[in-house]
Amino acid sequence: MKNEVKEHVISMLVNNRPGVLARVAGVFGRLGYNIESLCVAETISPKVSRITSVSKADPAFTEKVKKQLNRLVDVISVAELEDDTSAKREMMLIGITIDEKNRPELSRAITMFGCTVISMKDSYCILQVVGNRGDVETVLNFLTPLGVKDIARTGAVALESGA
Amino acid sequence: MERTGAEILLNTLSEEGVSEIFGYPGASTLAIHDCINETGIKHLLVRHEQAAAHAADGYARATGKVGVCIATSGPGATNLVTGIATAYMDSTPMIALTGQVTTGLLGSDAFQETDIIGITMPITKHSFLVQDVRDMASTVREAINIATSGRPGPVVIDLPRDVLAARCNDDEEGGGGFLEQQEIHFGEEELRRLKQIARLLNESERPVLLVGGGVKLSQAFTELADVIQKGNIPFVTTMMGIGSVYTPNGFNLGLIGTHGTDLANRIVHQSDFILAVGARFSDRTTSVIEEFAPLATIAQIDVDPTSIGKNIKTDISVVSDIRVALQELLGLVTEKKREDWIARIDRERERIAKEGSDDGCGPAGECIRMVQECMPEKTIAVTDVGLNQIWAIRSWKVKIPRGLITPGGLGTMGFSVPASMGARIGAIDHEVVVFTGDGGFFMNIQELATIGFYNIPVKIVVFNNGNLGMIRQIQHHFYNSRYRDSRLSDLVDITEIAKGFGIPSEKVAAEDPRKGIEKLCGSEGPFLLEVVVDENNYVYPIIPPGKSNVEMIYGRSE
Repeated sequence: MKNEVKEHVISMLVNNRPGVLARVAGVFGRLGYNIESLCVAETISPKVSRITSVSKADPAFTEKVKKQLNRLVDVISVAELEDDTSAKREMMLIGITIDEKNRPELSRAITMFGCTVISMKDSYCILQVVGNRGDVETVLNFLTPLGVKDIARTGAVALESGA
Repeated sequence: MERTGAEILLNTLSEEGVSEIFGYPGASTLAIHDCINETGIKHLLVRHEQAAAHAADGYARATGKVGVCIATSGPGATNLVTGIATAYMDSTPMIALTGQVTTGLLGSDAFQETDIIGITMPITKHSFLVQDVRDMASTVREAINIATSGRPGPVVIDLPRDVLAARCNDDEEGGGGFLEQQEIHFGEEELRRLKQIARLLNESERPVLLVGGGVKLSQAFTELADVIQKGNIPFVTTMMGIGSVYTPNGFNLGLIGTHGTDLANRIVHQSDFILAVGARFSDRTTSVIEEFAPLATIAQIDVDPTSIGKNIKTDISVVSDIRVALQELLGLVTEKKREDWIARIDRERERIAKEGSDDGCGPAGECIRMVQECMPEKTIAVTDVGLNQIWAIRSWKVKIPRGLITPGGLGTMGFSVPASMGARIGAIDHEVVVFTGDGGFFMNIQELATIGFYNIPVKIVVFNNGNLGMIRQIQHHFYNSRYRDSRLSDLVDITEIAKGFGIPSEKVAAEDPRKGIEKLCGSEGPFLLEVVVDENNYVYPIIPPGKSNVEMIYGRSE
């Protein structure tokens, strides 16, 4: 196993009860495993939540983290999702003020990238972008010069492809 | 039937086989103390909560059953922390019950409120905050299941005052329980891997078994002895592995690692195959990891997947209960004489005996041997931390399972006296001897009151060298003999202190201890023997920091 730093997506099923996220985060924190993004929500069973984390680390370190996570009583399963066998998406909300100057470029971008306008108050609008990280970042890069005020991103959610 | 949360808690513990609890009351836990006698569980009142945790730990280590301790919210709970951490490091099955402020006050900085779940998260296997009395019974059962299954460990149950007082009918109680603890499965894959290990073991010429604390925890005493005898395989033990197996015929090479024997460390260095059972290859075992057993293929059996390959790269491993794996292994190991290997070990043993390099415990070690001769075979030795620990480990020949209790992982000074109380109460037909130093003795000295009050017949040997001996030895070798802050007061009369607590006591010199030892061993109740030891009675060989297991410093202890 060559120790090169790459992105690792860890997908965990955990008991949906208080304090579980703190335990999981505690393992990351104690080992010094930095989280790029983290996503937590209920699954089809209300007793079970899925935690999806993305980190940049070398494979051996990630293995160690996975083992420690598995040791937690509230963790039901830990899997690492690979790019070619899983589907991965994230969402970004972009807040931007529309004015006379940026209006034509902005409406072009909305059509071109398939963004959805989900809120419009006075001249402040919030756009929704869904895609893989590259897609989302392309949109952000395009819109930034037009005066982006604020963003919120979910980080990746992922599922193994093929049940 | 309607019961309070406290009653449900105690009844469930009792149903799960708990018969003793070590603890100290406080306002938050009074509901429990109020009804404890009625439930048939015996509560032993200690004099400091840390001692309650160590006593529960000692109880569990001596019996193999879960140990239970209780403390009130706030300072009571935080005083348990050192004991919980000790149990966690050595994988002791333990339940720590902590009082908590009422649920409505949680997070309000109420009087004696502390987030004990948060504080203990990295040192517990798991923890629970019981928020609803209907969950009490199921939580207790789940906690015991978690504490005792797989790789055991301490579990904290935090009990808000109102939940203990709340009433609930049997039919309102939740069946509760989220997911069952996963059973450790021994299937085809495990068997395939074990067969591979057996093949490597059978083909090896110079094999060594490395016995860790996991053998005790899975009660695999006879299984291990069978494998050793059938395959003629010499073994070494980690500190936690001591007391896992007793073979009279020279297979035991002793302790390995930083404080290990010359013999064990040299033979492991020459071996071509090491099978570790229930050992995690801690830094105390391997010293410099790159230079550990350079010629050996390394195989590992452990119930905890995290322990496999954690510290050392193993060539092959099986995740399995050790007892199950050893039962299977016994059928796969071929009978082999290994004459060359045994002869080589014998030559090494003779050389070491001639040079005396493993006789480095001095008069203190001789004292321990004399105590053992004087005591019944079924005696359990409990050590503290420091020179006394290494003297005891090297000089006390463990002849029964669980015959030696020591805080190996955390190295907790002050462990021995309270742990011995738990051990003596749990293992009722065993005598218990404590070996401690003056440093560790003073750290939980208040427990002499508990021992005196309940008349717990433990035999306490305090080696008094007026120093933190092991620190002094390290300063001697590696800090140019600058003995900074390691000298303790010489003004205290330990025997008078013991007598003040109602415990008979004698003082002897390490060079001439016989009379005192006879009194110690002959006493009906508790007894404290102070053994005055020269401050230069160190322990040899030792391995300097940053050196490999075969770069020992030899010396003679005065």
